[in-house]
Parts: sequence; C-alpha cells; structure tokens
Amino acid sequence: MRLYIALALGGLPIGAMYALQALGIVIVYKTSRVFNFATGAIGLACAYNASSLVDHGVPIVPAIAVAVALGVLIGILMELTVRPVRGTLTRTIVTLGWLLLLQGVVGVIYSSQVGTNEPARLLQPDPFISLGVLQYSQDQAAVIGIAIALSVGLAVFFRVTALGTATRAVSEAPDAAKLLGIRVDRVNLVAWGIGGGISGLSGVLITPLLNKLDTTTLVIFTVQALAAALVGRLSSLPLTLAGGILLGVVQPVVFRFVSTSFPSVRGTDELTALVVVLVALLLFRRGGRRDAVSGGLEPVPIRPLPTGRVAIASTVGVLLAGLVLPLVMDDVGNTSRSNITQTAVWGMAVLSLVLLVGVVGQVSVCQAVFMACGAFGTGIAMLHGVPFLLAIFLGALLAAAVATLVGLPAIRLEPLELAIATLSLAFTADRFLYSWVPFASPDSNRPVPRPGFASLDPGHAAAGERNYAWLVVGLFLLTAFDVASLRRGRTGAALTALRSSEPATAAMGFSVTSVKLRGFAASGFIAGLAGGLYAGLLQGASGAPFDFTRSITLLAYAVIVGVASVPGAIVGGFIVTLSTLTIGGTAEVASGRSASTVTLLTGALLIGILVVAQDGLFGLLSRVFRFRRPQREPVAVTA
Amino acid sequence: MAARLELRDVGVRFGTFDAVDGVSLKVHAGEVVGLIGPNGAGKTVTFNVVTGLQPATRGAVLLDGVDVTRAPAHARTGMGLARTFQVVQLFAGMTVLENLMVAAHRFTSAGVVTDALRLPGRRRALAAARERASAVLAFLGLQHLSDVEVSSLPVGQARLVELARALCLKPKVLLLDEPASGLDPAETADFVALLAEVRATLGCAMLLVEHDMGVVMPLCDHLVVMNFGRVLASGRPADVRDDPEVKTAYLGTPA
Repeated sequence: MRLYIALALGGLPIGAMYALQALGIVIVYKTSRVFNFATGAIGLACAYNASSLVDHGVPIVPAIAVAVALGVLIGILMELTVRPVRGTLTRTIVTLGWLLLLQGVVGVIYSSQVGTNEPARLLQPDPFISLGVLQYSQDQAAVIGIAIALSVGLAVFFRVTALGTATRAVSEAPDAAKLLGIRVDRVNLVAWGIGGGISGLSGVLITPLLNKLDTTTLVIFTVQALAAALVGRLSSLPLTLAGGILLGVVQPVVFRFVSTSFPSVRGTDELTALVVVLVALLLFRRGGRRDAVSGGLEPVPIRPLPTGRVAIASTVGVLLAGLVLPLVMDDVGNTSRSNITQTAVWGMAVLSLVLLVGVVGQVSVCQAVFMACGAFGTGIAMLHGVPFLLAIFLGALLAAAVATLVGLPAIRLEPLELAIATLSLAFTADRFLYSWVPFASPDSNRPVPRPGFASLDPGHAAAGERNYAWLVVGLFLLTAFDVASLRRGRTGAALTALRSSEPATAAMGFSVTSVKLRGFAASGFIAGLAGGLYAGLLQGASGAPFDFTRSITLLAYAVIVGVASVPGAIVGGFIVTLSTLTIGGTAEVASGRSASTVTLLTGALLIGILVVAQDGLFGLLSRVFRFRRPQREPVAVTA
Repeated sequence: MAARLELRDVGVRFGTFDAVDGVSLKVHAGEVVGLIGPNGAGKTVTFNVVTGLQPATRGAVLLDGVDVTRAPAHARTGMGLARTFQVVQLFAGMTVLENLMVAAHRFTSAGVVTDALRLPGRRRALAAARERASAVLAFLGLQHLSDVEVSSLPVGQARLVELARALCLKPKVLLLDEPASGLDPAETADFVALLAEVRATLGCAMLLVEHDMGVVMPLCDHLVVMNFGRVLASGRPADVRDDPEVKTAYLGTPA
C-alpha cells in the first residue's frame, strides 16, 4: 500500500504537466469551440526555440520569454487561419494541419540537432522537498506550482474581467454577442493568443522534466492533455488541473499493476489516458447538454460522382496513365514498380477515408491503425500457415472488426468527439499496440512472405515484383469501383440520407446504428486490405509505417484531394508515395530533414486548402472547369 | 378486431413534470384521427412516443394489437408505421426520386457486399425501389419533380414530396405532424383534398397533429383534444368543437 501511495505521489509533477498542456486546449475551446489538437506541437516548437536560444548564449529567462511570445504568435496565426473556415469540426481539422506544420518546421530547422538537444532548464533538478523516500526536485516543484497558479489565476481572470465575460458570451452565442457589440474576432484572437502562450510555456517547462527533446514525445503527450481537458469538461480550469494531476497519479499505479503481471506490455500510460478519454466522452453524453455547435463536418458538400462521358473518361484516363500504363511498359525497373505498388496501396488507404468521411460523414484520425491491424493480422495468419491471399483477406476482416468497435461509440458521439477519440487511439496504438507481443512480434517486425509474388531466386525477383504490382493495382481499381458502387447502391442511399437527417432515416425503416456500423466496417476493411498489401510489399509488418503522423497525414490527403472524390484517392496515393520517395524508399518514420519537409508541406497544404476550398482540390477543380451539371450545386448539410 | 394503432394510458415524465399524463386513444383501420390542443398540451410528445423517438415512462403503444412500446423507430416502420415531420426533413443532396427510393428500399434487400461488388441483387434492389418510387410519384401527380434536387423545392412541394416518401413505405398507419404548417390557405386546401384522396384510394389509417381547424374538421372522423398532457375531450369533430371545455382551453374563460 505504501508503495502505491509513493508511486502515486511520484506522478504528481507529470500530472501537473498534463494539466498545463490541457489548459491550452481548454482556453481555446471555451471561447471558439475549436479543439486545438496542435497544443503539444506548439509546446514542441517553443521548447526547441528556448533550447536553441540558450545554446546561443541567451540567458534562460529572456529565452523562455521569447519562446512564450512565439507560442502567443503561433496561437494568433492559428486563429487567423481558423477564422475563415466554417464548421467547428473542419476548424479542428485545420489545427491538425498546424500540428503537422509545426512538427515539420521543428524538424527542418533543428534537424541537425534533433536528439542531441538539451532542454532549456530554468531550474536544476536538485532536491527541493523531501517527503521520506519521495523527493520533488526544484523544477518538478516549479511545474506543479505554475500549473496550480495558472489554472486558478486564469479561472479568476475569466470570471472577473470584462474580457472573461465576453469570452463566455462568445462561446455560448457568437452571433448574439456580435449584436451586443462584442468584438468576437478580437475576443477569439486573445483567447487563441493566451492558449498558444500557455501551450508554449508548457512545452518549455515539460521538456526538462522529460530530460529529452525529440519531435514526437511532446506531441504524443497530447493524448494525456486531451484526457485532462475532457475531465475538466472542456470548460473548468480547476477541474482540468485536477484531471491532469489525477491522470498523473493513476498512471504509475496502473503501470506497476500491469507490469507485475504482464512485464512485456508497454504504453500503459497512453492506454490509461485513452480509457479516461473514452469514459469522459461517454459520460459527457449523459450529463452534459448536447452541444449543437460542436457537431458536424459542415458544410462538406455531398457531391455526386462525376457523371457524363467526359468525366468518366478522364477518371479512367487518370487511372490508366497513373498505374496501368507504367506496368505494361516493360522497361520500368523494380524500384518504380514498387513505387506503383505503393501508390496503389496508399490510394486504397485514402479511399477508405473517402468512404468514411465523404459517405458515412464521420472523421477518423486513426485510419493507419486499421491498416496496421490488416498488416499484423496478415502476418499472424501466415504464421499459422494460412496462404498469403487468404491471410490478407483475414487481416482485412480483423481491421473491419476493429473499425466496427471504434464505430460503436460513434453512435453516441458527435463527429468532433469521435475525432478526439480516434486521435487518442492513434497515439495509444503507437506506444501500446505496436509493441504488444501477441499482436506485433517481439522484434517488432512480423515476416509476411509473399509466395508466388516474390521469388528468392534473384533472376526471377523482377517477375515477382511485377506480379505483385499487378495484384495490388488490380485490387485498388476493384476497390475504387466498389466504393463508387456502394455509394450509388442501397447502402449508399441510406448513408447519404443519414447525413441529412437521422430521425428521417430511421423513419424510413433503416436502423441508424446498423447503417453507421456497416460504413465503419467497410472503411476498416479497405484500410486493412491496404495494410496487408503494404506488409506484403515490404514482406514484413511493423508499426512504424502506421504511426500517428501517418493517420493524420492520411486524413490530410483525403481532405486535400476532396473527401467526396473517388478518383481523388489515387491522387492522394500519389502524394503519399511521392512523400515516401523523398524520404527514401519506404515510409519508415525518418527524422531527417526531408521527412520533416514533407510533413511541413502536408500541414501547410491542409491548412491552405481548407481556407480556400473546403471540398478539396477536386472540388476546386470541378468548380473551375464546371465538370458537373449546374443544378447539382454542393449542398451544405448539417450533421 | 384490434385497432390499427392504440395508445393505452401513455405517460411521459420529464423530471417532475408530466408532459403526457395518461393518454389513451385508438385509430381503427381506414380512420382519420386528429390530435389537437393548444401549445404545450403534449401533442408532439405523444406523437414522438408513437413514432419511437421518445420513450414512454408508462403505458403501452400497440400496432395491430402488437405491443411496440420498446421497439425502436426503424422497427416500427417495418410494422407499417410511416410519418412526416413538422419541419420538413428531406434528404438534402438527393433528387426527389432518390429521396423516395430510400423509403422504397424498405422492400428491397441488398447488403454492403452486394452493393460494393455489383452482385445481381444490387440491380434488382435499385430497379424495384425506382419502380415503387415512380409509381407513388405518378399517383400523386409529381412525376415532373422526379429529377429535381430537393433543396430547391418550395415548402409546399417539399411537403408533398415528404408525403410521397412516407407513402412509399406502404403504411398501415400514416402519422402526419402538422402537415399544413408553412402552407398558405390555397396550398392547405389542396393538401387536404390530396389527403382525402390518399385515404379514399389507399385506405390507410391516419393520425394527424394539427393546429389548423381548416385541416382537421373536413378530414377527421374522430378528434382527440389534449390540454396539460391529458385528454380533455374525444369524439366526433362537430361534438368536440361545441364542447364548452374545449372552447375554454382554446379561447380562455369567457369574460
């Protein structure tokens, strides 16, 4: 018992860190109803900034001041890009763009120092308070103190000042607030500025405690911040503090508990946070009011597939020119063949999102996790002697089952809440699932040989590679055709109806639950198929290609090309492949400058496209070229 | 013979407030029953209990003598219930025909796999749904609207399309939630005439919630008046209209 108490108290400083990050989320959400997924990334940018300033001889206090000012600036810039975008969920996707952008920028600027950087230390980790065996160092005590002071101080600030009152008015009824003479834009700007500053400060303060500075840890911390913010019901700053500290206190206890029975299990901290996120989200439902503002990926236009011969011909043309033609030509080398295979695989992954976002109307930020389920599922099945093609099918079924499980809460949750849950899952999968032994293999790479498609005899390797390329491209074309067919069939009719009005769809005799889950299952199946085929391409399954960045970028590409666009998926596939090519061959998570550049560009493109055209590149193009019949203008649909 | 639709002592309680308190009513085959009452009388809540959107705190809802009190909304549709909405809820982004086809798909069966792989069942399902939807459009004389996107329809036509969509379900009981709201007097008169024709031709029972006496009086065989969650009066329209209690509820106490 004493041990557990000591463990729990030891988690206090970490809990305070979670709370600090969560404060940045809550302050922005309180005002603008936008969920800032980039909190951790802002912290990351500011931590690197402070550290590099200190490296260049700047004294620590001004360095931190500059870093916090940078956080404020980033917050303000984010508000400016969020402002022209309509719909809280779409706005939240803009913050995912910022997450990528900031992560990329940090990688590009500090790439030479990544991994070797020393965090900027305000205080030394010297003992400060001793409680028997337990000691809090100076910097730990400082974090706890600052977290308490900030949450209490800001809570008072929002209650007492005129700005605080205006903030509440803006969040409850922006239009009414505007009519009362409140400058809504300025209030939002201030809130984002404060939020950005706090996120930045949290990054600067957290990194010394972690004793390291890298480009992912702080971002993954977001899942814990999400949990703390949700415990605070996204509005109460003191409750957020309590939530963060509670999480920090519980995690070491859970870790201890699990590691004594299952020593190989990793990522229990993230798993605990995920459970807190899910419980908080589902409890919200019961007690809290249904927040009409938070829902809806609006206005995502439901566009019909291009009709008419010109459009069909051009679609087929893109497919042929992009995939089939290069295969027919005999003089393509092995590398470009594998690139074609990759394009088709990633195209399939984007396609699964086109189905989920464009047709089902739900946002998943964990599509790469479904892919990983397909990949590992294939590996496990082959281990038991299942033939390759059947194994891929089984892996895809596994992914469909997991997607259905993920879809279950979606029946109760708003789309924005589902985005929070799926992003948390993506973070957790990184740390937990991909190193979980019954699933991944101990050396974290499950062999996936592909008999019939790769000969060990070097002389026939080319033939194997070519056959495999044909297989994947064929399956991709079939899947694209299937998604289009599905959308225009009976289930598609029900799904499209569902996005417009759930009560009316139920009144037509369709079970809302079952229709939604079928959409999730189909999307998961396609993602799983892509994952299995990718494992086949690499002849092994590992978690690295399916990390949280991949999940976010897949969503980004689907949004960039246009979530309602089937032919757009292939363009999405091209972009992913292009991005992996610059990294060098496969989609291994490289920390090099080129990988960061790609992340940066993806983020910038996502933000840019959402500001300019919410229906993506294909929507933009079709409006420019007037592909479609004029009477079928996009229709704004409220979810 | 059991009534098509029957409510037995239905009650809905929100906290300590009885929104609906012991409502019983019957709708027999071929009968049109009007549910009327002043604002806040509990008509809409009662209606939602019938459709399955609002669970009842007590009492029972029976369709053809079968207890459906616990059945979800979509299951009730399968048992012959169809409805329209107070605020028209057509499926945006679809044409009129496509809207009707969603309803007509109740009689088809094609799953995700059949649809995705274009198995023969898919074509059969789509053809059957299209045929049913076209037939209903023709019956109501709305063929010319077939390919119009529903968002561009004026309210009057949108109400007609919603009625058509409900009729695609081949209902035994048709529930109409304030079908005349948003319509001008001429449109209302047309709509009443159409409902009378639907009833004469298809013989389906109807339960309608309505404010407009111009709709209720000519159409209904039976009226149920609600006030403060209870049934205030029930009977033939002319009798109910002359009931002094009903007059008081609607017009206030005479000075």
